[in-house]
Amino acid sequence: MSFPKAAHVTLQDAQLRRNLAKATGTIRSKREAVVSELPDWQELRAAGSALKDAALADLPALLATLEERVSAAGGHVHWARDGAEANRIVCDVAGSAGVDEVVKVKSIATDEIKLNEALADAGVRAVETDLAELIIQLGDDVQSHILVPAIHKNRAEIRELFARELDLPDLTDEPEALAEAARVHLRRKFLDARMGVSGANFAVAETGTVCVFESEGNGRMCTTLPEVLVTVMGIEKLVPSWRDMEVFLQLLPRSSTGERMNPYTSFWTGVREGDGPREFHLVLLDNGRTDVLADEVGRQALRCIRCSACLNVCPVYSRVGGHAYESVYPGPIGAILTPQLHRLEEARSLPFASSLCGACYEVCPVKIDIPRVLVHLRGRVVETDPAWKPEKLAMRALYAAFASRPRYEQAQRLARRGSPLAKLPWPLSGWKSTRDLPVPARETFREWWVRERGDQPRRPAAAPFDPAPIGPEPMEDADGADARTAVLDRVRAALGTGAAAVAVPRGYRRRSERRPGEALELFAERVAEYRATVHRTAGREVGRLVAELCSERGARRLGVPSGLPAEWRPAGTEIVEDDGLGPHDLDALDGALTGCALAIAETGVIVLDGGHAQGRRALTLVPDLHLCVVRAEQVVELVPEAVERLEPAIRAGRPLTFVAGPSATSDIELNRVEGVHGPRTLRVVLVG
Amino acid sequence: MRVSLFVTCFNDTLFPQTGQAVVSLLERLGCEVEFPLEQTCCGQMHMNSGHPREGLALARRFARVFADADAVVTPSASCAGMLRKHLGEEGPPVYELSELIVDRLGLDDVGAYFPHRVTFHPTCHSLRELELGDRPRRLLSAVRGIELVDLPQSDECCGFGGTFAVKNAEVSSAMLADKVRAVLDTGAEVVCAADNSCLMHIGGALSRQRAGVRTVHLAEVLASTR
Repeated sequence: MSFPKAAHVTLQDAQLRRNLAKATGTIRSKREAVVSELPDWQELRAAGSALKDAALADLPALLATLEERVSAAGGHVHWARDGAEANRIVCDVAGSAGVDEVVKVKSIATDEIKLNEALADAGVRAVETDLAELIIQLGDDVQSHILVPAIHKNRAEIRELFARELDLPDLTDEPEALAEAARVHLRRKFLDARMGVSGANFAVAETGTVCVFESEGNGRMCTTLPEVLVTVMGIEKLVPSWRDMEVFLQLLPRSSTGERMNPYTSFWTGVREGDGPREFHLVLLDNGRTDVLADEVGRQALRCIRCSACLNVCPVYSRVGGHAYESVYPGPIGAILTPQLHRLEEARSLPFASSLCGACYEVCPVKIDIPRVLVHLRGRVVETDPAWKPEKLAMRALYAAFASRPRYEQAQRLARRGSPLAKLPWPLSGWKSTRDLPVPARETFREWWVRERGDQPRRPAAAPFDPAPIGPEPMEDADGADARTAVLDRVRAALGTGAAAVAVPRGYRRRSERRPGEALELFAERVAEYRATVHRTAGREVGRLVAELCSERGARRLGVPSGLPAEWRPAGTEIVEDDGLGPHDLDALDGALTGCALAIAETGVIVLDGGHAQGRRALTLVPDLHLCVVRAEQVVELVPEAVERLEPAIRAGRPLTFVAGPSATSDIELNRVEGVHGPRTLRVVLVG
Repeated sequence: MRVSLFVTCFNDTLFPQTGQAVVSLLERLGCEVEFPLEQTCCGQMHMNSGHPREGLALARRFARVFADADAVVTPSASCAGMLRKHLGEEGPPVYELSELIVDRLGLDDVGAYFPHRVTFHPTCHSLRELELGDRPRRLLSAVRGIELVDLPQSDECCGFGGTFAVKNAEVSSAMLADKVRAVLDTGAEVVCAADNSCLMHIGGALSRQRAGVRTVHLAEVLASTR
């Protein structure tokens, strides 16, 4: 179906229009608030855009480095020319693991290649664990937004679906009740899952690190609890080095959910003894990306970090919704990605699905000039339109008129003769369905000028027709080669010989200018804004404070990592040392008590790196309460300062978890509900 | 100052009063205005609807016609944007009307008189391509007798978008419906903008609905005197 036809259907759905207007308006104002509070947002955008370009220009080398580092860290790297190949790889891993069910983190790449269907054909059930994806899966529905895929569903519709599919006849339509239903349903799946499947938001080539940004804690569950983890990642998701993440850790959450930081961000490098999956597979997916890369104008679409800011500001998207784009990539970014990733033939109307208002470009955190790419793709569509197409003929006639003054003036006289009441031919008739047309003036401006001011000397006649440059050659097929060679060959061919290195401007703030102590105050304030609570104490009082917090929450059994300082341990609470507890054992705990690697004031974030007094990732994930001790000297102000301090840990291959408040979801009418799959309560004990 | 007027094909044919307003306004402000009769179209329509060779050829034709101009002024933000983006250094200096008045002539007050309740729609190309900022509003604020009222969600597109309005007529109409609602909410009797294409779109719906609100180009407001 063409976009106008699909839009014709969705435009008539008043409920959808209302849901969309409310939802996009809400995220839009949240984004504006957190973007405008940063003094260096434009510098971050400039850096983000250049970093992605730099990565694309150096893609063959970076892909090879990533492969080498992931393998060195005990992971397996696979290459996939297309979706079918990627699906085969994942199905084979599931087959070797002997599983009939996998838990999945929301991943558009796997939706793009229809992995769930392929797994089903292989006898493996894929369980979507993101709340919105669960709603879509249970309802046999289709995603309509990148960030909030069930944006088109209201709470009453979700309640009805859950009541039926999860057999909960007494369920209410309160967002808290619906999130709780999902929590209970999925917890069983998580605790027994043997294989997880994820996508990746970024991969750091130099360290072989992969990461997932999420909110509910389902991502942490899927990437840490199962024995086997498979991550499917587009080859464009690379960034060169760890320090580059200091830019994207700021750009993505603020652009996407409109938060300073999303609740959870997980980084992992291969496999880690005693922490997380024992087997890790990384699938590097091409599936049309090298075709995009080959187009010098269109390739900027590969900078996309899937934040969906462009959807929320788009006047077209916010009226028609995601389904009208008939792709897993809706909205403005979808209008330039879908026709490029798949064959242009299947999406010829998408480049025209925009008024070119430019709102998308203005908010894009990596500065993709979407209007420019749309216009470029329109050219590719028109080029392949048949010559007899009425629109093409009309445009040619108009060109002939504009290219010479006598013909132009003749056309003006003709236009004046037409009656304004005459029935216009399609597609001009579409105009008159809702709008009047002005009558051509009785005297054109130039006639008035000549009458008033006389005929000035004419300048040289019209220009000759300028031929356009010839477009890029079609790519040669790399059939016969193995997938790795084929993908790398295609990348090299797409880049051509002239791929220059890209300079990255780093004009954003990298060093705090606050006085010591100020950062601490800011941290306490910002953590509290996530509805975590902050309790300040002097050094020796930690144990007593923890005991108080435990009794307040009725927590009688507390899990702790080995090596937790003795003075932190609360009296009167049963302490269980985590010496490799199973998921069900962890689930039976009332809470977990740990330290942290550092904390970031500006974003109110705690970072865990598996180092001293932190234990493994599952310990702070499965129990419903997380008590985290932060020492004053661990607090830095800015994200880049934190990224710098974390470099040794990431180079040592330790997994990192960024925590911003308790787990949360906004998948039900964008109402924030605290506590989905990760701890519902986060208590921060700030020492000093 | 010698200024060459690029009136645009659209205004030439459909809205000559806008071109006349530019001439009378600039002459009132002491400019010498000339109008090269060889001019036709900037190529925007071809460029934006997938005919880049034709679009660029027309833009280059414009550059040749205006090769001798010290400054080109045009009462269309989108045509100015098209020319600046695609010609760059290849073309003469092109100014949208409010840019010429504020930046080149250094004026905020052109001595106009327009005793009406007016709301200003900043148009997408004015806002995001040319980044006109508050120039038009500054000029309007100084107009005697005017009652300037804020347009809610003013930065949102009216749904015109050239061929978009016919190729995606329904989506375009949905966008227009919200724009018209916002205009009517202001209680204004005049909608003003720096582009007649957007005004033709908004005005087309206002006229169809017999809403009793008219559209007037910025140049015409600024050209009005007591």
